[in-house]
Amino acid sequence: MNRNDDNNFDDELMAKAARLSKPVVPKRDLWPEIEQVISAPVVRERSAWNTVWAQAAAVILLVGGSSGMTYMAMSGDGDSTVPIIDAHTQLVFEPVSGSFGSQYFLGPDYQDAHRVVSDNLNERLADLSPEAREEVLANIETIRRAIDEINRALAEDPGNVLLQELLIDTYRDELSVMKKVDSISNNAMYRSDI
Amino acid sequence: MQAAMPAKSGQTEANVVALAADQASEELNWVRLAQGADTFAFEKLYRANVDRVYGLCLRMTGNVSEAEDCVQEAFIQAWNKLDKFRGDSAFGTWMHRVAVNVVLGRMRKARREQDRIRAVSDVAPPMETIADDGELRDLEQAINELPSGARHVFVLHAVYGYSHGETGDMLGIAEGTSKAQLSRARRLLVQQLDEVSDEQE
Repeated sequence: MNRNDDNNFDDELMAKAARLSKPVVPKRDLWPEIEQVISAPVVRERSAWNTVWAQAAAVILLVGGSSGMTYMAMSGDGDSTVPIIDAHTQLVFEPVSGSFGSQYFLGPDYQDAHRVVSDNLNERLADLSPEAREEVLANIETIRRAIDEINRALAEDPGNVLLQELLIDTYRDELSVMKKVDSISNNAMYRSDI
Repeated sequence: MQAAMPAKSGQTEANVVALAADQASEELNWVRLAQGADTFAFEKLYRANVDRVYGLCLRMTGNVSEAEDCVQEAFIQAWNKLDKFRGDSAFGTWMHRVAVNVVLGRMRKARREQDRIRAVSDVAPPMETIADDGELRDLEQAINELPSGARHVFVLHAVYGYSHGETGDMLGIAEGTSKAQLSRARRLLVQQLDEVSDEQE
């Protein structure tokens, strides 16, 4: 075969290829399975991150709002001598197997502080007016719900550092509110101007 | 009689053009309805295009059941991103692009699951003969035996008439690579068809 023969054969090949039927009928009807998929209700998968961020945002609002309202309720009598709670109380996570889905739990320092402040709170609440007592309890309850929310988010995403920090901050807020109630009640009891 | 011929031919041509325009306009209406989540309209589009999409998938994959899966996946993907179809090209051309992407995506995935696919291909039936004419049947068979890169270019360019630019664009390769693959495909096809011819003699 010379070059002309080659070219002719090549042209013939391309002409044959162009003559091949473009449509080919499938052996079976493929539509029913397509229809089944496209007619199914769309269930949008919520990404784990969206859930975590939404929960984190909700918790920040809850804790912020709750702490603010408690502070307002407690300082309503104009007492400006309320001591500021140490915001840097050392709270650390310690690995505890099986706790709230992740592998962390707050350490013994926090547990001790929480127990002492909690006992004091119960005593001091009795000294508050019914309205203030209700307000404080409602807001502490809100903070505790927030703690539960963060724990649930951590159960889904145990390694999330943001959530771990948020949990520590929220525990600290709870402690802070309880100590604030304690100190306000003490101040009220020992005020020298009355 | 002879004088009437050009007029008749002209009329036929005009009718064909008008019919094509009507079909394109009708197809665009179905697209608009389907974009509004009308599955009935989408079924119309499916019925009008499935044979061409299946033909392309079958030639690109060389396997009936894989081609069927590709067609289904392509139409499901098309449904999901129908809002991105703006009508710049015909719906059929857009569907071809979607189908090529599906075929390439599945092949990439298959390459990652090489062992499993090899096991399946051992038992997969050979591609059905899709041409009736003896010579064309031999050509189909020879195309099916080409390496995938050369086969994809040959199918898109030589069978479906896409330019090298379009072929390269669809396959994600340079235009020059498309030309090189076509040249390779032609050389391999000539060899194979020669062998077939020798065997028949």
